[in-house]
Amino acid sequence: MAEPRTAGAIYDLGYQPYRGARLSRASAIRNLFVFSFRTAFGLGRGSRSKVLPMIVVSVVTMVALGMIFMAAATARPSIINYAAHLSFTAFFLALFAAAQAPELIVTDRQHGALSLYLSRPMSGTDYAIAKWCALVAAMLVVTLGPQLVLFGGKVLLSPTPSVVLEAEYRKLGPIVGGMFATSCFMASIGLGIGAMSSRRGYATASVIAFFLLLPAASQIITTAATGDVKRYAVLANPLLIVNGFALWLFDIEARRRSPIARAGLPGEVYLYAILVVCVIGMTIVWLRYRKSEA
Amino acid sequence: MTLISAHELTKRYPGGVVALDSLTVDLEPGIIGFVGANGAGKSTFIRILLGLLPPTSGSVTVLGMDVTRQRMAVRRLVGYMPEHDCLPLDVSATDLVTHLGQISGLPLTAARERAAEMLRHVGLYEERYRLIGTYSTGMKQRVKLAQALVHDPKLLLLDEPTNGLDPVGREDMLALVERTGREFGIAVMVTSHLLGEIERVCDFLIAIDAGRLHYAGPVAPYTEQTERLLVELDDDVPEFAERLRAEGLDVHARGPELSVGLRDDTTYDIVRDVAAELAAPIARLEVSRRRLEELFRETSLIAADRG
Repeated sequence: MAEPRTAGAIYDLGYQPYRGARLSRASAIRNLFVFSFRTAFGLGRGSRSKVLPMIVVSVVTMVALGMIFMAAATARPSIINYAAHLSFTAFFLALFAAAQAPELIVTDRQHGALSLYLSRPMSGTDYAIAKWCALVAAMLVVTLGPQLVLFGGKVLLSPTPSVVLEAEYRKLGPIVGGMFATSCFMASIGLGIGAMSSRRGYATASVIAFFLLLPAASQIITTAATGDVKRYAVLANPLLIVNGFALWLFDIEARRRSPIARAGLPGEVYLYAILVVCVIGMTIVWLRYRKSEA
Repeated sequence: MTLISAHELTKRYPGGVVALDSLTVDLEPGIIGFVGANGAGKSTFIRILLGLLPPTSGSVTVLGMDVTRQRMAVRRLVGYMPEHDCLPLDVSATDLVTHLGQISGLPLTAARERAAEMLRHVGLYEERYRLIGTYSTGMKQRVKLAQALVHDPKLLLLDEPTNGLDPVGREDMLALVERTGREFGIAVMVTSHLLGEIERVCDFLIAIDAGRLHYAGPVAPYTEQTERLLVELDDDVPEFAERLRAEGLDVHARGPELSVGLRDDTTYDIVRDVAAELAAPIARLEVSRRRLEELFRETSLIAADRG
């Protein structure tokens, strides 16, 4: 670091070149992941960017706390229901994906920031991986977070926590796996649609439309069609896919006369539907950003 | 070491547009001015250097590394300031520049330090904690320059850094570019469609026109070539132009207005002597700079004449 110094320039060290280590591409991906994860909650951003994430976080938390409170007040621990929490909050989760997926990927393109990333040691695929992981992680906070609160509540409310813990322990695997699948599902839909949009507003509107129009279409098909088409039409509704998946995962009987009970599909079908949607969404994102490399 | 070495570099876009046409050029470190009209292929060249566009044919190395095969290694040592808007508006300049420094491979502490240093270098002090959305165009251009410098590149590619700035802002930006090149010892390639603007700060100049190399060399001979003496006579004196041409000067005459190629100081003497001999009063005498577009047009006309 010994720069030639002249007597008159004691305080001016001149330009200091960087001589330290330069980290790998993996660390760049990790950094973009953390930066984007924070962005998903508006951290390090203006106050307006914090509004929607905070609404979603508080709603899902309040619902969970509400369930625990009711269970405590009525002394009926069965009120704490993982699957019910997911179906209550599914709309807010979809809203989170609709707003934050475009925030993560469309704004970079809209404002031209993508070229700042791709002119650095980072490929389009690296970028897509970081963004996808960031949104899945952010979705996990709003999906898995409240489920774990419910889990904790259920254990602690019981007069014999250790007994309940043993019973509930087996559900921890399905909870984590299920919420991970749900997060991937919604993130893939949001990013897949986002990758095809040029402006953030359009992307958000499209994702919301996706979650609102498809249920309507599903309903129409169910009413009009017969036989297998009628049964499988339930899969056209993304929120019901999540719902059906949750019921199957926790081994809960669907309420009678609900669309899922009427369809009577084997539970694995919902898992496959989620996997297919994830693969499609990730492929769209990858194709879109792999090209950006060129 | 050669900074940039292009050999028969050609880029043809799918639509059939030829952006670069067998460009061969070797550039040494220093401040390099890269001029050409809009659409001449400047941005295409820069995008190829960054490995963002594959060349159709030919090869190019940056700092001795092949840009298609060692793309990531090249990008690690190159800083790029795009021509277009590229800043997210909802982040502070410090956060953005630190983040981009980390993407370029700096550890967090180093990235923070260098981000603060570079933002100070470009003249952003307390403002750097504010959201970029609240900045003026000039401040945004400065942030764009700072992010290109944060990872201590060996080569800085600045694509039209004065775009969208007012005259004072342009001056400031060019002074900043010059200081960066001289004091930091970082090689700089700066593009512009205005020759007059960047010639002052450059050691070396390359000019391209419609994807072809027009000139590559020191600045002075080229700018002299672009300077002309405008002579306006009181009356139309046809012999005037004849006499000047007889002295070997390049003259374009349009009525009483003559545009004379400025060779050196003797050009003035010749004009003075001819005016005295012909007793032709001179109404106006002015050194003017031809615009780049005119220069390209004339040279291509000459080439067409010869062909």
